[in-house]
Amino acid sequence: MSEPTSQPEAQFVAELTACQLPLTLYIRSLLPGDSGAGDVAQQTNAKIWEKRDEFEPGTNFKAWAFAIARYEVLNYRKQQARDARFVFSQELEQTIASEIEDTDDLEERQEALRLCLQELRPRDRELLVSRYASSATLAEYAEVVGRSVGGLKVTLHRLRTALLECMKRRLSKWGTA
Amino acid sequence: MKNTELRQLIDAALEGQISEADFLRLEAELSVDPEARQEYYDRILLTQLLAAEAGEQNGEQQAPTPTTRARVAVRHWRWAFAGMASVCAALLAVMIAQRPDAPVIIGQPRVAEAQGETGEQREQESSGYAIVSGQVDPIWADETTLAHGSMVPPGELHLQSGVAQFELFSGVTLVVEGEARFSILSPMEVLVTQGKVRARVPEPAQGFRVLTDAGEVVDLGTEFAVDVTAEGSEVHVLDGEIDWHPRGLPAQRLEQGDATRLAGGVEVPIAANSSRFVGPEELQQRLKNRAETRISQWEATTRELAEDPELIAHYQMSSSRRRLENLAEATREPASEGAVVAAAPAADRWGRPAQALDFSPAGSRVRVHVPGEYQNLTMICWVKINSLDRWYNSLFLTDGHELGEPHWQIMDDGRLFFSVKKYEPPFEKGMQDKHIFYSPKFWDTSLSGRWLMLATVYDGTQKQVTHYLNGSILNREEIPEEYLVDKIHIGDASLCNWGLPSRNQPRFAIRNLNGSLDEFMLFSEPLSEQDIQQLYDVGKP
Repeated sequence: MSEPTSQPEAQFVAELTACQLPLTLYIRSLLPGDSGAGDVAQQTNAKIWEKRDEFEPGTNFKAWAFAIARYEVLNYRKQQARDARFVFSQELEQTIASEIEDTDDLEERQEALRLCLQELRPRDRELLVSRYASSATLAEYAEVVGRSVGGLKVTLHRLRTALLECMKRRLSKWGTA
Repeated sequence: MKNTELRQLIDAALEGQISEADFLRLEAELSVDPEARQEYYDRILLTQLLAAEAGEQNGEQQAPTPTTRARVAVRHWRWAFAGMASVCAALLAVMIAQRPDAPVIIGQPRVAEAQGETGEQREQESSGYAIVSGQVDPIWADETTLAHGSMVPPGELHLQSGVAQFELFSGVTLVVEGEARFSILSPMEVLVTQGKVRARVPEPAQGFRVLTDAGEVVDLGTEFAVDVTAEGSEVHVLDGEIDWHPRGLPAQRLEQGDATRLAGGVEVPIAANSSRFVGPEELQQRLKNRAETRISQWEATTRELAEDPELIAHYQMSSSRRRLENLAEATREPASEGAVVAAAPAADRWGRPAQALDFSPAGSRVRVHVPGEYQNLTMICWVKINSLDRWYNSLFLTDGHELGEPHWQIMDDGRLFFSVKKYEPPFEKGMQDKHIFYSPKFWDTSLSGRWLMLATVYDGTQKQVTHYLNGSILNREEIPEEYLVDKIHIGDASLCNWGLPSRNQPRFAIRNLNGSLDEFMLFSEPLSEQDIQQLYDVGKP
């Protein structure tokens, strides 16, 4: 289907693909809880692709991509005319950029998550999975499943914490965490 | 901070459920603690992985197999990638299939969708059937205060004395004289239980009804009045005609000049008497007389203020000239005159035409220069805000944002913003370039078009910043020691806008205020609560 791509272009795609997780993680870290974060990630990918000729092969791709991502985040905030209440300080944003590494153990993490999900009670598992399959806000979702927002919040919080602990346990057993 | 608490804060943030105060605590914690940040990344990553898992289990479209990254096992890779990056991956595939220079079109429809989902674009609402369009010496019972231009709350209103005029959304004008008790039930219906009410009904509002204990008036066009007392009720037709439905008696049509009095179940025809009821014209005249008295009182205060050595700048925005005289005469280092740019003439808070400036045209501002260094500042302005449709809505800002420079503006959510810059980057851990003193939210669209007096006092001596609305304190906040600035300087600055585009950079952020200003005062002293209240009392329209 796709035409053969040139060697540098293929390399660029490889870099961009490998960078997807840290890139989304970075954007989501700067826009915690913002339902528009996915769109910003998408927009960032488009912008990176548009600017691919400006990238110097051999230099730090992640840093280059993150700079574009940061620009897109700022742009998004401006479009949304959001005030500064829920924006981290510049310094913290820089720290986050420097700390988000290429996460190489992604596949292990996902595997661990799957196993840990199996350890949950079926109805808890269903709740989590359907919550994350839904794009509704917490309040809307609470209404759908007929629970109070507060109660649902506590349950989800407890499940997430349990999952994270379970994953950590498994990953350390596998020697990757 | 305890781990459990930190996790709760993070989850609240990721669910979009965090309060501002908690967000600040989370930020502080993340700024200082690498372990807290790791927890934050872990939980964001978990959110992503769960979304991917949910997408997978719900049979979402699978991502195309990537062409490279050999060291990742394909089975896992695809699986993990599916939900969280399926869009990106599909997109990449599409882009790769395209010619390299073909335009990439993406994103827009999804953004619109996302906004719909979060409901942020919901239409604004207000409630009420009428606004207050003029009052002379009103005294409202039960601590009600109805400002000029405000929406009339539902329920019974009790005007103890004075006169008030209302404009109903149907177009009906009501003039009510105290003492009166009445309720506006809808734009087409008013219940009067006591007092004199005169109604002028325009053509689109024909059928407008006034209900009283004695009976009901249905308007057939144009002007009538009722007087309801404990002894009985009168209806006077001042213009046009009405249908009168007295309780327990047959209905009758009354024409201009007719009036009727119903007392103790007996109805007596009488002659209509327009002079017994204050009409809209008379009210306007009374308002004008009253405004003139108040204006001359304010002018006397202005002359007194000019003698105050602490008054650095005082501008009244008469738009007949494009140069605004600084009325402060006694200070050692007065501010310059003000140069008006682009702002258009507007009516001032007393309704006088061209005595205020409207800053809604793009680029509008008044340019001023304020010399000197200050430990304390008081800024006061009389402002009419149409809307807060920009992120920042300027009141008074220095040109750039250098150390020691104050910025005074309003956030789009209706909070006052005041800051003085303290540091240049790089900052120490957890520090910012300045502390921002926000007021609580004081403005919403129900205040649109109303004249307000805003004041902010930076008291470097007492180490506190106080925001005021109409002479009353909105909030007072201590100045954190590390952000205290004792040498505030202003230099070149703008009222109601910010900064100048620089050479070869004609683009600029839109920060002009969508509204009008008729007065601005700057003092080099922290005015007290009493001072501010007094200035409001004597200056209010």
